[in-house]
Amino acid sequence: MTRNFALFPLMVVIILVSLPLMTMYGFLILDTFTDAPPGELWPDEFTLRHWRFLWDMSAAGNVWMATLNTAVLALSMVAVVVPVSSLAGYAISRLNLPYRRFFLAGILVMHAFPAVTLLIGVFFVLKFTGLYNTMIGVILVKGALMLPFGIWIMKGFYDAVPWEIEMAGVQDGASRLTVFWRLIVPQVKPGLVALSVFAFLDGWGEYLLPRVLAPGSEMTVMSVLLNQLIAGDDIGFDFNLFKTVGVFYTLPVIALFVIFQNRLMTIFGGGTKG
Amino acid sequence: MTFHMKSAALAALLGSVAFAAAAEDYTITVWSGGTGDSSNYRIDAISIAAEQMMREAKVRGEDLNITVEGQAWSGWDDFKQAVTLASEAENAPDIIVSGHEDIGPWSEAGLIRPIEDYVYFDTWPLNTIYPNLIQTASFNGQIWGVPQDAEARVMFWSIPALEAIGWSRDEIESLADRVQSGEFTLADMVDTVKQMQDEGVIEPGMGFGPRVSNGPDYWQFYQSFGGEMADPETGKLIVDTAALEGMYGFFADAVEQDVVSQTHLGTEWDVWHQNAAAGNYGAWHGGTWHKAQWQNQFGLEDFFGEVQYTLIPAGNEAGRANSITHPLVYLLSATSTEDESAIAAELIAMASAPDINALHAVKSAHLGISEDETQVPLYAGDEWLAAASERLAPHTNAIPNNSDFGTFWTAMYQGLESSWTGATDPAEAAQNVADSVKKSLGDNVVVR
Amino acid sequence: MSSFADPTLEGARSSRPSRARRAPVSRLGLILMAPAMLLLTLFFFLPVALTGVFAFTDLSTSTGIGRGDYVVTPNLLRELGDRGMSSADLEAVSRASVTVDAETIERARAAGVDGRFLDDIEGDFLGRSFDAPSDFERDLRRLRTAPRRARDLKSAAALFETSVLNQRFTTSDGLSAKLETLAPEVTPAARAQIVDASYTGARFTTENFERLATQKETARLVANTFLYVGATLSLFNVGLGLFLAVVLFYTPKGMSSLFSTLWLLPRITPVVLYAVMWKWFTWEGGFLPILAEQVGLPSFNYMKGSVVTAWATMITLNGFIGASFGLILFSGALRAIPVQQLWASEVDGASRWQQVRRIILPQMRWPILFVTAYQTLSLLSSYEQIWLTTNGGPGRTTTVWALEAFKTALSNYTGNLEYGMGAAMALVLVVVGLVLSLIYLRLFKFNELVGRPKIEI
Repeated sequence: MTRNFALFPLMVVIILVSLPLMTMYGFLILDTFTDAPPGELWPDEFTLRHWRFLWDMSAAGNVWMATLNTAVLALSMVAVVVPVSSLAGYAISRLNLPYRRFFLAGILVMHAFPAVTLLIGVFFVLKFTGLYNTMIGVILVKGALMLPFGIWIMKGFYDAVPWEIEMAGVQDGASRLTVFWRLIVPQVKPGLVALSVFAFLDGWGEYLLPRVLAPGSEMTVMSVLLNQLIAGDDIGFDFNLFKTVGVFYTLPVIALFVIFQNRLMTIFGGGTKG
Repeated sequence: MTFHMKSAALAALLGSVAFAAAAEDYTITVWSGGTGDSSNYRIDAISIAAEQMMREAKVRGEDLNITVEGQAWSGWDDFKQAVTLASEAENAPDIIVSGHEDIGPWSEAGLIRPIEDYVYFDTWPLNTIYPNLIQTASFNGQIWGVPQDAEARVMFWSIPALEAIGWSRDEIESLADRVQSGEFTLADMVDTVKQMQDEGVIEPGMGFGPRVSNGPDYWQFYQSFGGEMADPETGKLIVDTAALEGMYGFFADAVEQDVVSQTHLGTEWDVWHQNAAAGNYGAWHGGTWHKAQWQNQFGLEDFFGEVQYTLIPAGNEAGRANSITHPLVYLLSATSTEDESAIAAELIAMASAPDINALHAVKSAHLGISEDETQVPLYAGDEWLAAASERLAPHTNAIPNNSDFGTFWTAMYQGLESSWTGATDPAEAAQNVADSVKKSLGDNVVVR
Repeated sequence: MSSFADPTLEGARSSRPSRARRAPVSRLGLILMAPAMLLLTLFFFLPVALTGVFAFTDLSTSTGIGRGDYVVTPNLLRELGDRGMSSADLEAVSRASVTVDAETIERARAAGVDGRFLDDIEGDFLGRSFDAPSDFERDLRRLRTAPRRARDLKSAAALFETSVLNQRFTTSDGLSAKLETLAPEVTPAARAQIVDASYTGARFTTENFERLATQKETARLVANTFLYVGATLSLFNVGLGLFLAVVLFYTPKGMSSLFSTLWLLPRITPVVLYAVMWKWFTWEGGFLPILAEQVGLPSFNYMKGSVVTAWATMITLNGFIGASFGLILFSGALRAIPVQQLWASEVDGASRWQQVRRIILPQMRWPILFVTAYQTLSLLSSYEQIWLTTNGGPGRTTTVWALEAFKTALSNYTGNLEYGMGAAMALVLVVVGLVLSLIYLRLFKFNELVGRPKIEI
């Protein structure tokens, strides 16, 4: 639309601003296959040594198990967040609820207010439900913290469905639930997909909750394993090994992100509207 | 109705005795804090003891099966958080390996059980443990834990750097005695490393390399300036404002002289280790166990040729050269069953045998827990442990077991940080510490 | 979809006719809401309420959470002595004795101690008493029938002991009754004082807030938090976000989507890895210090080596995550600007800068306000990235309120976890967050967002 302006200065500017990120991510990938002499920027040697953790469990612990655990956490997040949010989102979008306004305001406030500061209270609840130090506890807490976001997103998608569709269904004598399942859910599929991906990403990257709420759990997730590689005062750690494990850990996320990029944009857009 | 805990516990215990004839299976879990690659025997010693106990049971004709599950935390904050929260949620491990100072708060909260109810301290091997170590594991008239190791904290000196500024062999060798007698003070140390910097031997800002994070080490400087952490008679905490001001002043002055950087606190451990091992610092302070790390992981080869080691020098007339030991202790969680605790306690006692404990002491360069241990050939043959035992260990003391000490500890370090970074002047920082500790603890603390 | 980003559209939409009649409550709606309500109640509302309660207690590691016993310890008696309790009373309370008589033997039998062992005890020690429990224990061990396991013997020995010291009672009445039998000469008032002081659990107090209000550290934390939120928000979340959005608005589609993907990466990269990438970027031996050394600039650990660079690092690394938020939002708003308007200005000979300033920026008022509002809240309570990178250092120069609350309550070297104090700090954040949210809801015309449902059956 703005053909008559020069492109070149823009290119320079955008590249300059993005340089730190490009460097960080560029070297992130580069360093997993190479070694650089100490004090040098550029690598001088190609090596697959950093990937040895894939078969040598002594290098970085049992990464496969941790990956599986992380996948379980992430998928469970999807299983909790998506159904619960889509039901609640529908109710809040279409049905007459008592204190609806109040509830909606609450969702908005909670959405904007990440509840990690409430960890002490969360711990107390987990202690009483016997869920402390279990992955189930982490999943439920993490899921609950994501609900305001999920509900708000789904409400947005339901709002966008023309209500004539629903009206027609109801007038044909179908129950409200059938209408919801048969007519409405297919309409909000993009929202469901996007929310699923988002819940997955959120679960996949989570670090704080497993560490604080399930430290002795058998289920070590990748983020905790990864941080153990660098923590502590007596291990001369290996940045390249760490980065390689990190890339291995992040690849599924990047892949998902690339595949679903456009849909995610919708949800980012939707998400920002709360 | 009175609920008498001991009888209830006994009833539970006796209930289980009825089944003693059947095979017994136990899983004993051990969590250990601050435990890295070289200190694996904190947990492994329990496994060795379990092995031995099963054999003994077999000899007696009993069928006993013990599985030991260990988990090591490399840091302290994660570990203590995990132990505390797990205990609150009633799924803590059976055995906890932590610093002795945790006994105060944990015993008050009922998170741990006094180990003296489970083992005899007047039988071997526990009767050979140094009485002063047992003292550090005691609180409120009860022995809560079995000491797992001891150590001394040390002022290290770069011999090449001292030589480069013209110190003679004799001067370097007599340094330890001069420090111990109080003749060579912290002020002299700053002058010395300043001289190294001025003569280009050591890079600016690298003369002095203190510990990079909060830890018991900084209390040594409080003692160097005459501070006492607690009244030895009553156990009451003491805030010595003058000593605080003295130590804050010392570090502020060291920053002023540029022998240590203003932002040194919070440096990565790795960086510190590398500098220490490479001899980049003129003088630095750490612990006896660091030597093992420098040699095993950071490539220091000729320790005795490159590094002189002394007590932490005195700061002024009021203070003394000193060193703090921070024994770790084996503790029993209160969330285990009585049976598990009984087994766990006996495992701990067996793991405290001189030869088993010596494995940890020598591998991680910690000091042993008993006189007998020094006779174990493995231990006796270790030059560093022998030297440290002779030169440093007799002058060590421990931080107090007092559930309120954490408050003082946190306040002291905050004051140190703010005077170090120049945010507050030392006198004001010391006064702030005194005020805030007094405010929080009231009658339970004496301010001098 | 309704949108804050586009208030004009919002206004148009809200003209939809709304019904005046109040429809009956939908039961289905309640059922559909139930799972969400359950989870939110358990893990959101309840923690908020608990935080509110904990904030007014002295809950800590040594008080334990949610339980307290009554224990008389030597230290407690010493403290009571300092507070003026008579030494005769203290003496009486700390009395300990071991008596072997018919009554104690019966007690041991009732508790299930081995009969043969008891017979031996009766034979050897009946009618004797010991001053020190340890003496008694030593004598017991000499008996042939003594249990092998130390624990069994000690538990049995304890049954002959009369002492209140170091014993945990779950109720105050239990301790009180025991004290009465053990030391009848102590007056009820003194006894009550002992029992009260012996409680190990948490007590209600407003001290946390007094401490927050009086300590100097508070001012620094507040200042740091303001600096962190203000700088990150203005420079990155809004500043850089807007800049990127405008620049990418003018670049061809392929390139613009490439760069927006790049800028979204920090948001989706797991936080642990992101933190390490920054360490690699700023630490000694890392990218920037090596680069600086090669061009002759001061080279050190920028993340922790100086206060200024630590702040710069911390703000930048958080800002890079936040920038994508602004980028997406502003891009959306930019696309909503009628193209004709831009064409017209170009025909009029406006330069790009003029176009941005005259046409684009004025339309960005609402999105900017929204990003500011929304991200203030996120930044206020975020600490994970800071914790994993500068960790509040060097010294405590980059410690912000949320990080300090987390550390106070859950993570510090001494393991002295002050849940009560931490909850008080968290509560301050909750209140600030609520107040800000309410203001924002006003600002963004909440009523239009929550228009009544379309079908009310």
